[in-house]
Amino acid sequence: MGDKKSILIVGGGMSGLTSAIEAAEVGFDVVIVEKNPYLGGRVAQLYQYFPKLCPPNCGLEINFKRTKSSPRISFYTLAEVEQISGEEGNYQVTIKTKPRFINDQCTGCNKCAEVCPVERSNDFNYGLDKTKAAYLPYAMAFPMQYVIDGSVCHGKACAKCVEVCNYQAIDLEMQPETITLNVGAIVWAAGWNPYDAVKLENYGFGQYANVITNVMMERLCADNGPTQGKILRPSDQKEVEKVAFIQCAGSRDENHLAYCSGICCLASLKQSTYVREKNPNAQAFIYFIDIRAQGKLEDFFVKVKQDEKLSLVKSKIALITEDPATKNLILEGEDTQSGERIRETVDMVVLATGMEPATATVKVPAEVAYDDYGFIVSDQDQKGIYGAGCIKRPADVAGVVQDATGAALRAIQSVVRR
Amino acid sequence: MDQVVGPKYGSRGGAGKAYNQSFAREVYRNVDSGEEIKMCMQCGVCAASCPLKEKMDFSPRKIFTLIRAGQREKVLSSQAIMLCTSCYSCKVRCPRKVPVVDVMHGLAHYALRQGYKPRAETALFGQKFWGNIYRLGRIDEKDVALRYFLGHGLGQGIKLMMENKNMGIGMLWYKRMKILPERPIKNVKSLRKMLDKAKAMGKGGAV
Ligand SMILES: Cc1cc2nc3c(=O)[nH]c(=O)nc-3n(C[C@H](O)[C@H](O)[C@H](O)COP(=O)(O)OP(=O)(O)OC[C@H]3O[C@@H](n4cnc5c(N)ncnc54)[C@H](O)[C@@H]3O)c2cc1C
Ligand code: SF4
Ligand code: SF4
Repeated sequence: MGDKKSILIVGGGMSGLTSAIEAAEVGFDVVIVEKNPYLGGRVAQLYQYFPKLCPPNCGLEINFKRTKSSPRISFYTLAEVEQISGEEGNYQVTIKTKPRFINDQCTGCNKCAEVCPVERSNDFNYGLDKTKAAYLPYAMAFPMQYVIDGSVCHGKACAKCVEVCNYQAIDLEMQPETITLNVGAIVWAAGWNPYDAVKLENYGFGQYANVITNVMMERLCADNGPTQGKILRPSDQKEVEKVAFIQCAGSRDENHLAYCSGICCLASLKQSTYVREKNPNAQAFIYFIDIRAQGKLEDFFVKVKQDEKLSLVKSKIALITEDPATKNLILEGEDTQSGERIRETVDMVVLATGMEPATATVKVPAEVAYDDYGFIVSDQDQKGIYGAGCIKRPADVAGVVQDATGAALRAIQSVVRR
Repeated sequence: MDQVVGPKYGSRGGAGKAYNQSFAREVYRNVDSGEEIKMCMQCGVCAASCPLKEKMDFSPRKIFTLIRAGQREKVLSSQAIMLCTSCYSCKVRCPRKVPVVDVMHGLAHYALRQGYKPRAETALFGQKFWGNIYRLGRIDEKDVALRYFLGHGLGQGIKLMMENKNMGIGMLWYKRMKILPERPIKNVKSLRKMLDKAKAMGKGGAV
């Protein structure tokens, strides 16, 4: 199939990797464009997978290995698509890459980070800690290659890292690049962003230190996270004993995201097991409107709820306030099963925020149909550019893998048709 | 207080008691914004957002579930619908955009039309509040309070005044209340005409 055009995959998360590998393994050339300095997407930031509660790294590792070993897959990191022109079978695509400042001679020795005098907020850990300007995104990052954050680096005036690097891997003069590609089909797998919890004024996120979000909770529990896997609350690094999860934080809410993200109930159930695993005396509360655990995932719900130190309370919490002395949080709501008022004090609150498609903020630079919320609509008439994974609907990994396989097939059809 | 509960989570609706839809239909037809309660998903946010939650016999959520359950008497004779102070906390937070305040007021008006009466306290305050609006076209806080206190009789009125003294001083301090009497708004007569007309249409007046 040497004369066939390549397939462009935008986004190197679970969906993008799946589409890429599926297409490559049946003989098509693919190019992945990923805006982060690493592949893997949001899954790389999870501690464990529901329902099996295994580390997501094994799945990712397999995909990285297949990516590495396939001669048909090439990828750009720190890259975004700027322009698309043309039509199904023949697209001209302009890609813009940001400089990494560190080339592939990097062995991951960490010397640059040791000497770097500048710190930056660690976006991989959702701002829960800091890294140096020269950093490795996370311990198992693929590609295993350091990166320098150009927005904070002092540049040539400093260049301490250049001196200590034994492999001539650092080039502080690296420039942004523009690359043009000719491809036959495009799979848009740019994934999701957590809904901005600052918008939920009555929950005090950003204002009360101990109100965090579910994505932060994954990092807080991960062994390679900011607290090496101990659930220490942000205000005083105290081990938590009472944690409340608030479901539908900004979901199924006409003032925020009107839809259900489908996975947040399962994520909170899963995270309640983290709390219990890490501190057997701890108590967890899940406040919900109704628990949505669909299909066979209901078994997971049934299993988790047997834990007697987990209280499932049917109530949407109306207000969170902070006790300024202890930094504990006071939740108010109405238990709609007993009819009683709720006033519960806890150490830490986890907001189960939903998923917003990346295309709610950054659109595909081409004609593509979206629904009211910015998800890409899978339209049978729309040929050549296909959504894959959470860009189309909120889903778990099993769901996006299926969808991305389907998207790969459609992309192959677009390439073969011509 | 009556316990109002939704259908038990995970059950099939309890003892097989059929909900009577007739009162819900009556509300949808006759109560301003009444139909909006169809959107309510019983999450409880309005209940816990209400600053009067400790004073209300039923939270807005419970009122809506009682309507669906056909509990006409409980709803129309409830104090909750008469107590709503229009703070709008529930309405801004409701995830289903139910205009909770409007429904509560709609229900209060409907109850009055049906001959239900608010508590004497609530009615007295309503009369004095309305009297102020009618006379001035605005509220003169100290005047409403004074009339409301004295409406309890002279002795009790003075006692209430003393009890609320600090709040009054606070309001003066933060310029929420003036020492001098408020003057009527411009053209208060036209406002009165409008209010008279609304009242004649059954859409206004003191409770
Ligand atoms: C709290 C929480 C816990 C979860 N736990 C589980 C779980 O236990 N089990 C499970 O199965 N699922 C879980 N999920 C769901 C899981 O995270 C998603 O199913 C998965 O991330 C979807 O993969 P994706 O590739 O579609 O999107 P993403 O993971 O978001 O990947 C998209 C990729 O595209 C890149 N990108 C974005 N925009 C651009 C652009 N313009 N150009 C180039 N690249 C771009 C991003 O950097 C990213 O690498 C959880 C979700 C949440 C919120
Ligand atoms: S040049 Fe930049 S990355 Fe290197 S040490 Fe200095 S600040 Fe850090
Ligand atoms: S906040 Fe809205 S949806 Fe929730 S119980 Fe009240 S009226 Fe119903």
